Order: sequence, then structure tokens, then C-alpha cells
Amino acid sequence: MHLRLAGVVKRYNSIAALDGVSLDVSEARTLVLIGPSGGGKSTLLRVLAGLEMPDQGSVEIDGEPLPSSEEDLIRYRRGIGTVFQAFNLFPHLTALENVTLPLVQAHGYQRSAAQAYAMALLARFQLEAHAGKKPFELSGGQQQRVAIVRAVAVKPRFLLFDEPTSALDPEMTAEVLDIIAELRAEGRELILVTHNMGFASRVADYCLFLSGGKILETGPAQQLFSAPQTMELRDFLGRVLKY
Amino acid sequence: MSSRWANIFFARRKGNGEVIPLYGRAVGVVAAVLLLALIFSFAFSRLQYGWDWSAVYRYRQKFLTGWLVTLAISAASLVASIVIGLCAALAQRSIFLPLRYLGKIYIELIRGTPLLVQILVFFYVVADAFGIGNRYAVGTLTLALFAGAYISEIIRAGIESIGESQLESARAIGLTRRQTYRYVVFPQVMRRILPPLAGQFASLIKDSSLLSIIAVNEFTLNAQEVNAFTYSTMESYLPLAVGYLALTLPISLLSRYLEGRYRYAS
Amino acid sequence: MSKGIYWLGLFAVLLALPLLAASPVSAAKPLVIGMELAYPPFEMTDTRGNPDGVSVQLAKELGKALGRPVEIRNMAFDGLIPALKTGKIDLIISSMTATTERARSIDFSDPYLSTGLCLLVRKSLPVNTIAELDQPGRTIAVKKGTTGHSYAAANLKNASLLVLDKEAAAVLEVVQGKADAFIYDQMSTYKNYQRNKETTRAILKPFQTESWAIGIRKGNDELRGKINRFLADFRRSGGFDRLGDRYLKEEKEAFRRLGFPFFL
Repeated sequence: MHLRLAGVVKRYNSIAALDGVSLDVSEARTLVLIGPSGGGKSTLLRVLAGLEMPDQGSVEIDGEPLPSSEEDLIRYRRGIGTVFQAFNLFPHLTALENVTLPLVQAHGYQRSAAQAYAMALLARFQLEAHAGKKPFELSGGQQQRVAIVRAVAVKPRFLLFDEPTSALDPEMTAEVLDIIAELRAEGRELILVTHNMGFASRVADYCLFLSGGKILETGPAQQLFSAPQTMELRDFLGRVLKY
Repeated sequence: MSSRWANIFFARRKGNGEVIPLYGRAVGVVAAVLLLALIFSFAFSRLQYGWDWSAVYRYRQKFLTGWLVTLAISAASLVASIVIGLCAALAQRSIFLPLRYLGKIYIELIRGTPLLVQILVFFYVVADAFGIGNRYAVGTLTLALFAGAYISEIIRAGIESIGESQLESARAIGLTRRQTYRYVVFPQVMRRILPPLAGQFASLIKDSSLLSIIAVNEFTLNAQEVNAFTYSTMESYLPLAVGYLALTLPISLLSRYLEGRYRYAS
Repeated sequence: MSKGIYWLGLFAVLLALPLLAASPVSAAKPLVIGMELAYPPFEMTDTRGNPDGVSVQLAKELGKALGRPVEIRNMAFDGLIPALKTGKIDLIISSMTATTERARSIDFSDPYLSTGLCLLVRKSLPVNTIAELDQPGRTIAVKKGTTGHSYAAANLKNASLLVLDKEAAAVLEVVQGKADAFIYDQMSTYKNYQRNKETTRAILKPFQTESWAIGIRKGNDELRGKINRFLADFRRSGGFDRLGDRYLKEEKEAFRRLGFPFFL
């Protein structure tokens, strides 16, 4: 996808979470955002997810600007898939119902068609045994995988992940990252915010380092990890890769 | 004390929960009932009271009629109160400000004044001004408005207890506000508010006895009349207690059953 | 040890003092008299909230005659007999009619006032007798537990009955046209008509006469005898006339003009 941002500013009260972010990236299949907490990566992801409107600046995806009216934004959100760090699934619905809900309500599927399709997807990711379970009966890793299935089921243009494994233990982290790697291998376009540097370096085509609301370094992933240009990135990588 | 005996009278802790065998449950209930019966029969035996059930038995038709009227009024105002409560809860979240404040004022007024006063004012002042003379309709509506205020607060608390993250999730998958309410918020709210709602319904059934002051021919008024004719106070009021219990107990049991069915932990 | 006993002894004496102080005072148990203070001018409260009225004064005079202090207890009319039966009150002086039904539960003194059931009618209604009111479609209001209530329940076959808690509510029903008539005693009917001249009419000829008496728990014949003697003496000495002049002057005059015998 071709992603172009120009001078994007997003303020919360008096704090600028995004303080003039500009970017022009094309041919990036997997984009990874890294950086310290509060640096602006989650905010940027939320803007790209259509959940926050920038106060200033413009965002263009594949040549189309991000919509500004709520009606258009709803349509935009339906066209992409978002997975958050936690609490993605609705606790009163089973895994299967969680997946079929957007299909039936937001994409006009017939209930039976949606169920068949959702079951097939869940089976593909080895989750069919859990289809009838409610989220509280699933492990954290299984919940996140169901959330990913839900995001994928709507045939999105691209997928957004906001620290999908931060709330998981190492074993569950692995199972979730496996799926993401699989999706990447399928050729899907992903934008990923993660703390997991190992994974980031493995899957990312292009990397952004955000700190203090600004993009301090960008470039192909290998380049950023092996030869950080800015001091902030060097410090960051030093801290994060220590253990 | 052998463990078998211990199990009959005491619940055993297991992990975070409890284990209570069936015979323990039965013995516990019977023992509690016997104790209460003992206390009551002691109290009544101290009363120099000439029991006379025949006088009250003559009037059994009145009791039945009154009970049926109470049942009908309670059922009708229960349903109406849910509708009113829902409207008031939504009104308070409305973007149209006069509607929002109308909702808030309604709730403060109704919850802050006695039901007795509301019944008298609604029937003798408001309904009279509009020329509505049917005391059963006005009484039912008054009860519904009364309970509706409490129910709206219960619903509002239920709605607000749905975490922000869920609303965010719903937004992210592209659900409209209305869809979010319908498929995410309300199904969960309905399950969460079952216990306080059941309590409110039981209160409503008992509060309906207050409609006797505008001569609505309900259960309590009929029992009072029988007492007035026969001077058999205990024999008139004990069936009254049993009759109300017969109405409130099913609600309590149904609520517990539904809570168990819809448990999904949080 | 001895210090502890000293303090214990002092404590016991202090505790006993109020008991010692109380005992020489009159050994007479107070006479608890129940009435519903919602029936002026017989049972009511003055502007400061103290009980007042014909029955209250009668009660005080009775107390003097029996040599006992009087305690007035206010309660709902239909709770008076149960309270008397269970010993919560000793007497009922509440403008209560002596009926055979009630006499099964309690005893009555000799009657001290004769009155009757009358009708407060909706102004535009051209009826004059209780029989005319006993038609389908007519609504009669009564106050719960009164003789009007018993009469209506026993005798009105066609009209529908509205049983209300309070006299004021029953009058309001007639004034607002929700009830066609209110069955109540003669004097109250007159007073309610006086207060609602635009909306009501009073038919003051009683269709059932009744007399009021003092209610006594069964098995107290000695007390009953004393009360009857008091009533006879009180009437002979002009006590009832004095009460009539003090509380019912206007009614006395009105009834004289209407040609009804004054009932006190």
C-alpha cells in the first residue's frame, strides 16, 4: 500500500501525542511501528484505523484521503481489520458469534453463510474446537487468535495490530506471532505496533521509530536495526534488546 | 465429630468454592424452617388471641379477587415500568439536551417523593384535570412511573458498566452506534441487571398495596375489609403475607435461574 | 477488692435512686384510650398538635371520675378494635357505633349519642333516597371499617362500592364526581356539605339510626358499670350540653333550624 502522511498533529488536551508526523511510503507490505511508550505509535495506529481524527495534517492511503464524516469513517473501518492488545472479543458471545457479528451486521452476509465461512476460517487456524466457547473459557492466546480471525474474515484491505502480544506470556505470544507471520506470508498488508523486536526485525519490510510524537527514523527494517542513525533509536534499541 | 456428621450441617470449602451435598441442603432448610416456626409459635402462644378462621373463610372469594387484581396490576405496571425505565435511561444519554434534563428531573422527583403522595397527586389532581377517571389505569401508570425511575437508574448503571474497550472494539469493526447498542451493550446489560431488577419487581408487587388508598380493589384492601367486618386481624393478614409471597417468590427464583444460565464471567 | 465492692455498691445505689423516687407517686395506672384523631370536632388535634374535641374532653372527665390519669392514643379507626382486644388500649372513645357485629368482639357502654347514616350527594344528581342510589352504574363511597361500609356491603346490591381509607378522600371522590354519594354519619355529612356547597348536597334525614358508645374489652363488667354510671351523671349535670355548646354551637343552631333533634 501507499501510505502518505503530511504534518499530522493529534492533541489530547494540551499534550500533542502526534506532533507533526510526515511520511511517504510505498511498496511496504508490512509496516512496523516501534518506539518508547507514549511516543505516539498507538495514536498513529488509531488514526490509521479511523478511530481518531487528526487535528491537523492529511492522511492518504493508496491515494485516497482518510474520510472525515462519521458515515464514511464507518465504511472505512469496515474495510480494514484491527486487533488490539486485549479485550477485543465481546464476552457475551461465543468465538464463532464474535466472528460472525461483523460479517452479518456490517457486511450483509446471511447468517448461515457467515457461520460456514467463519467456521472454515477458525478451522484454518486450528480454533474450530473452541468455536462454541465464550471468551472467558479461552486462553489469552486463543482469544487473540480469534480476534485475528475476526479481523481477517471481513476480507480487509489491510490489517492493523496494536501490541497484540503485550498481554500474553511467551508461549501464547509465539502462537499469535505465528499467525501474523502466516498472514504476511499470504501476502496481506499489515501495520504492526510491537515491543517484540525479534519479531519486528523478522517480519517488517519497513520500520518507523516514533518518539515524542515525531517520526525520528524510518527505513527498511534491516537498516534500522543494524545501523540506527539517531541517538534516540540507539538508546531505545540498547534498552529493549538488553535482555 | 465424624466427617459425615460435619457434612450434614456445615458447608465444606473446596478451592475457591464450596461443596454442599444434597442431604446437607435439605437438613439445613428444614432446621431453619423449624427454628422460625418455633419462634413464631412461641410468639403467638403468648398472644391471648382467639383464633377464628371460619369468619375469614366465608370471605375467601374477596381474597381471591383481590389477589387476582394485584396480580394483574403488578404485571401491567411491571411491563410498563421497564419501557419507561428504558426510555428514561436512554433519554439521559440523549444528545437533545431538554430531553436529557427532563429525564434527570423525572428521576429525582419520583425517587425523592413518597409513593403515597404520588398516588394521591396523580389521581386526585393530575388525572382529574385531564378528566381521566379510571382509577385502575391511573394507579397502574403511577406505579409504572414510580418503578420506572428506579429501573432507569439500574439500567443506566448497567450501561455504564460496559467497559470502554468493548465500545472501542465495536467501533473498530465498523458497527454503527445503534448496532453497538443492540448487539453489544444491551445483551450484556440485560444480564447484568437481573438481580437488582428482580428486587425492584418484588418491591413493585408489594408497593401495589398502596393503591388501596384510592380505593383500587386490590389484595391488601380486600384483606383490610375482611378484617373490618370480622375483626379477625391475624386471620386476615396472614393469608395476605402468603399471597404476596406467592407473587414475589417466583420472580426471585426465576431471576436466580436466569443469572445462572447467562453467567459468562468477567 | 474492697475498692471494687465500694464502687459496685455506689453504682447500685445510683441505679436504684430513680426507682425510689418514682414509687411514692400515684399508683394509679394510666387509662389508655384509643381514638382516631381525624374526626372533628369529636376527635381532632389543636393547632399545637395536642388531642382535642368532644371525645377527648369526655375521656378526661371519665379519667377524673375513675381517679386515673388519661393517655390518648391516636390510631386508624379500623385498628381500634384489634388494639382493644390485644390490650394495647383500655377503652375506645372514637364516635364508634355500637353494632351487634362489633358486640361479638367487644363490649359497649350505654349509648351517649344518637345519630344516623346520611348521604352526601353529588350536586347535580337528583336522588333523595338510598334506594334510588342502589342502581347499576352508580358508585357509592364509604370509609373503611365504618357502619356506612357495613351497611353498603350488606345492603347495596346493584351500585358499586368505593372503599376509602380517609373521610377526606371519600368527600373528594364525591366533589370530583367520581362517586355519586358518600355514606357517613349525620353531623359529618352536614359539615362536609358546608365546606363543599358548590359541588355537593346533603340528605340529612338518616336512613339508618345508630348510637355511639364507649368500647370496652370483654370481661370487664365492673369497669363497664363505672363507665355507665359516669355517663348518666355527666348527662344529668349538663356535661354533654356544655360540650355541645363548646364544640358544636353552629351545628346545634343549624339542626335546630332544619328541625332535626340535636343528638348530643
